[in-house]
Amino acid sequence: MTDEPYRWLEAVANRREYIRDQLKQATPVFAFSRPEGVLLYGVGSGQSKVFELYDRQAIAALGHPVDIEKVRQSLIEAAHLEGFTRSSEDVTLRRLINFSLGPLMKTNFEQIFGAPLIVIALLAEVGLTSAQDVLARVNFDGTHQFIAGGIAVAHADAQREQEAAQWLEAEVAADLSLKDVIARARQAWEKFGGVEGGLAGRVEEIGLLERRGTGRARYRTLDPQALL
Amino acid sequence: MNGDFLSLLPKKETLPSVQTLSAPTHKSVELEATTVFAFHCAEGVLVAGDHRATAGNVVFSDRTEKIIELDRHSLMASAGSPATAVEMARTLQTAYEYYRRSQLQPMSLPAKMRALSRLLHENVAATLQGFGLVAPIFAGVDAITQKPAIYFYDPLGAHFEAAAYAGSGSGSGSIKSVLHFLEQWGNPKPANLALGAAVALANRLLMTASEFDTATGGVDPARNDFATIKLLSAQGIRSVTTAEQAEFWLEASR
Repeated sequence: MTDEPYRWLEAVANRREYIRDQLKQATPVFAFSRPEGVLLYGVGSGQSKVFELYDRQAIAALGHPVDIEKVRQSLIEAAHLEGFTRSSEDVTLRRLINFSLGPLMKTNFEQIFGAPLIVIALLAEVGLTSAQDVLARVNFDGTHQFIAGGIAVAHADAQREQEAAQWLEAEVAADLSLKDVIARARQAWEKFGGVEGGLAGRVEEIGLLERRGTGRARYRTLDPQALL
Repeated sequence: MNGDFLSLLPKKETLPSVQTLSAPTHKSVELEATTVFAFHCAEGVLVAGDHRATAGNVVFSDRTEKIIELDRHSLMASAGSPATAVEMARTLQTAYEYYRRSQLQPMSLPAKMRALSRLLHENVAATLQGFGLVAPIFAGVDAITQKPAIYFYDPLGAHFEAAAYAGSGSGSGSIKSVLHFLEQWGNPKPANLALGAAVALANRLLMTASEFDTATGGVDPARNDFATIKLLSAQGIRSVTTAEQAEFWLEASR
């Protein structure tokens, strides 16, 4: 099949369609660069979506839980090996995406005889200032965008993703408190998530990469109930 | 996948040091420098050490940090070859964090101790060659009991829990003698001392050790020169600053 270009292209197109179909039930995740740090928001139904990766890096992803786990483990392994071999300052999101995750996902996507990774991910890195924060969206085929503006959305539906991003950009003002940003994220999830019943029976997950911290590891989870 | 960072290293060919050496000599294995020690006090476990690094009879640094935080609830006090000890600490720091992040739970205290044993065991060839000897003290908090504990290691990797105190390095003999005396006949015993009194005791112990061991850097309160001291408790690790030590020293001297 692979030595017949047309059939290969057709197989890749089928694969893309299959992944999109699989992602239809997935709900969005958001990331916000704020003065306090970088906030990640997701809503799970029994499976986690927001995770710490390394000292200043974290991920929020949607897709198949097993594939999210593969991506997460791959990033953690790459980050820790780099941090050990060189130093923690050498572990940057740009390098992790450009040289580790991006190629991994592209290769996996194009190997048409293997199972694809059904994952769309937002990755975040906290800097010394908001201007140094890095937000990126990585697609299941390895394509990725570094996102300016301090708000990032990953949604299985491109149209809804764009609408959610525009709504959040209008609603999340620069001087909003962290609690209010989380409230807006919750509203956006309910408005654009496409899930009947809203948050009922689901678990909100909120991770914060703190800008000012005492130790090297800056990630901590926030309790949604404490923030209501 | 299994959360074992050490198992990643050979696969990725990043093993930090060469372990295959020629046949070992039969030179006795002894620590020739440093003093680190730990004892239980009322607020947790106090871990202390001097700042001196020596090469033979040459002092090449009086600003060496020998008490290394491995994660939020464990630390290592290193005596022996600094290069090997620092590399071991760095490996453990990464291994503990790698496990915590990949497995979504902290590594247990026995597993942390075992990881240090493994590194010491892999270092046996260098130890017997006479240039890589490390005999650390490990202090950690048990996740279930939430109690801090002290362990000491022999250079081959065996570890033992210290009921009250532990010491390592060339100056530790005199310190262990004093701590033994205080545990047996002291009133109050070190385990019952509040933080201020425990810190003052730690500095006095180092002053005592430096009287008998040239490789142990002393404490000089007049020059604001104190030991490295960290307190481990269920809440985590707290570094006792020089300013705090000066204050505790004054209080204890009154």
